[in-house]
Amino acid sequence: MRKAKIALMIILVMLLVSISDSRQYIAPSIPILDLNSEGPDVSDLQQRLKNWGYYKGEIDGFFGWDTFFAVRDFQESHGLEPVGIADSKTLMAMGFTKLRNPRTVYAQSGTGVSEEQLLARAINGEARGEPYEGQVAVGAVILNRTRDPKFPKTIAGVIYQPGAFTAVSDGQINVPIDPNSSVVKAARDALNGWDPTDGCLYYWNPATATSKWIWSRTIVKKIGKHYFGK
Amino acid sequence: MSIREKLLDFKRRLSDRKMYSIVIVVIAAVAIWGIIQYRKVADLRQELDNQYNRAFYDMIGYVNNVETLLIKSMITSTPEKTATILQEAWRQANLAQTNLGQLPVSQPVLANTSKFLTQVGDLAYSLNNQNLDGKPLKDEQYSTIEKLHGFAVSLNKSLNELQSQLASGRLKWGELANKGSRLFKKTSQNMQMQQFESIDKTFQEYPTLIYDGPFSDHLTTAEPKGVTGDNLSAEQVKEKVVKLFGEDKVESVEFTGKNDTDPLKTYNYHVKFKNAPDDEIATIGMTQKGGHVLWMLHNKTVKEKKIEMDKAKEIGRKYLEERGFKGMVDTYYIAEDNTATINYAYQQDNVTIYPDLIKLKIALDNGDIIGIESKGYLYSHREREIPEPKITEEEARAKINPRMKILSTGLAIIPTDYKTELFVYEFKGKVNNNDFLVYINAETGKEEDVLMIVNTPNGILTM
Repeated sequence: MRKAKIALMIILVMLLVSISDSRQYIAPSIPILDLNSEGPDVSDLQQRLKNWGYYKGEIDGFFGWDTFFAVRDFQESHGLEPVGIADSKTLMAMGFTKLRNPRTVYAQSGTGVSEEQLLARAINGEARGEPYEGQVAVGAVILNRTRDPKFPKTIAGVIYQPGAFTAVSDGQINVPIDPNSSVVKAARDALNGWDPTDGCLYYWNPATATSKWIWSRTIVKKIGKHYFGK
Repeated sequence: MSIREKLLDFKRRLSDRKMYSIVIVVIAAVAIWGIIQYRKVADLRQELDNQYNRAFYDMIGYVNNVETLLIKSMITSTPEKTATILQEAWRQANLAQTNLGQLPVSQPVLANTSKFLTQVGDLAYSLNNQNLDGKPLKDEQYSTIEKLHGFAVSLNKSLNELQSQLASGRLKWGELANKGSRLFKKTSQNMQMQQFESIDKTFQEYPTLIYDGPFSDHLTTAEPKGVTGDNLSAEQVKEKVVKLFGEDKVESVEFTGKNDTDPLKTYNYHVKFKNAPDDEIATIGMTQKGGHVLWMLHNKTVKEKKIEMDKAKEIGRKYLEERGFKGMVDTYYIAEDNTATINYAYQQDNVTIYPDLIKLKIALDNGDIIGIESKGYLYSHREREIPEPKITEEEARAKINPRMKILSTGLAIIPTDYKTELFVYEFKGKVNNNDFLVYINAETGKEEDVLMIVNTPNGILTM
């Protein structure tokens, strides 16, 4: 009985800790802005509206009628109620957000390995059991990423981008490879310009993919076990 | 002995005094081991956290500089000064982008931010080149800079907001990088990802940017110019595949799917060969329009080398000619593992047209073609109107550094990073035993590019 009580206490404490920790929530980072509001927050609002082409006037930090209409247009095109007041929903849709956590107080703000080898190792870690075409394809995806503005621009930058490849996260990329193995040839073909994926930027294994986001990509083709997409 | 008895026996032995001390020693040893391990892990995590912080703070600094430099570039009066400032903006934006790629935030979350930084740098670089030529910026270029500056201001602001949260300890990289305990992982991770997503929102209605740089938006939608013929069915193209390899060699061709998402639509096939192991197949991508080879890879074991390079070049040239690619000349090769990869460029009126490029992989044991890559050719090939050069060869030669000993000269068309073409004189020469290729614009006399040729045991590389 006593043991059960202790166990219960422990569970309760853990629950409490977890609840208090998750009592953070997302809130707008600037106050609600309305007609005749003034100050740097209004300037920020005007700057974003101007970036997106809703606001044409000067960034003067004064919420006048031109700002009002710009906010309304933004709300209209984003499925928000077109009231012209920058309420919290609108502010959050514009990216003015921050974490709030009632418990804490705000602080003051204030290769030894050549490219071919590296690519071959990445292919080895990611697509060892795949057909040759699939190995070249994985190499090609890495190279396509270096040419896309949304990714780092070097082979090492792409391969070691945190969380980008499981073979890097779990260290399989460091497994030594046989210089005569097919992954080395695949790396070479990819570096020489062969691209079986027609310019794909992503691939995933439908059986093990954990990210839901990846399914929003256009699937271009399937090679071996992997789907390739853009 | 039953289990119960065994347990009782064990208990009896435990209550022995000697046993007590042994148990205590064991527990103490385990505890010490645990503490040491825990400290090690904590140290490693701290080190990782420091790396992430370094990348993040560096990035903030660089973004801040980009913002200032962009605004400065708009108020300078001389093209030379503008050029210096834009060059610095290019450098800072690149550094910011590199550091962004090191943050433990999944790539899609910050995709637009990354694109912005790449394009700011790229655009600054291309404007810088224009400035170096002495041409001042045009009005619409100023307005593009102004727009980008607006985005830089917003990005800077959001990053500073995030930075203050990091400083207050409410955001931890460790948790972002998937290291949080199971209980907290879900909530805290989502929260923090949302923070980064809100930064990316700054770019949700980011304008399409078109300029002379490799990351300009118009390049992703380039139309292929060299693809001729009618749209064919997968069955019709299959026949072309059989013909390409030769009916006598092919055992079966299997249609494996098509790609309709690109400007260059393709069909894909697997080809099996007679008297070949099951895994030694060829995979091939053919254009739907006209049934041209876009790429082919034949996974074949290559035996002892029997064919010399010159012979291989000739085999490749003949292969292309027999398949309708006339006037191709080899320009560069590399040989590894008894396989040669040779580049062929189109030649029109004695002008080498480098953008019209086909690469062949040739097995040096029996001369089989085991790889084709013709994206360059299909995207850019056409009969061009080649103008008369505006400057003579002598004038172009005078532009070359006198220290270079010129060995050969020719006319060529070379591609730029942003898929336009330049009409140039190509000079091959030597400086201090190093081989160089120098390209002088045949219309303006400007030195467009200098390549160093590196002779390796495997082939000739240009750098």
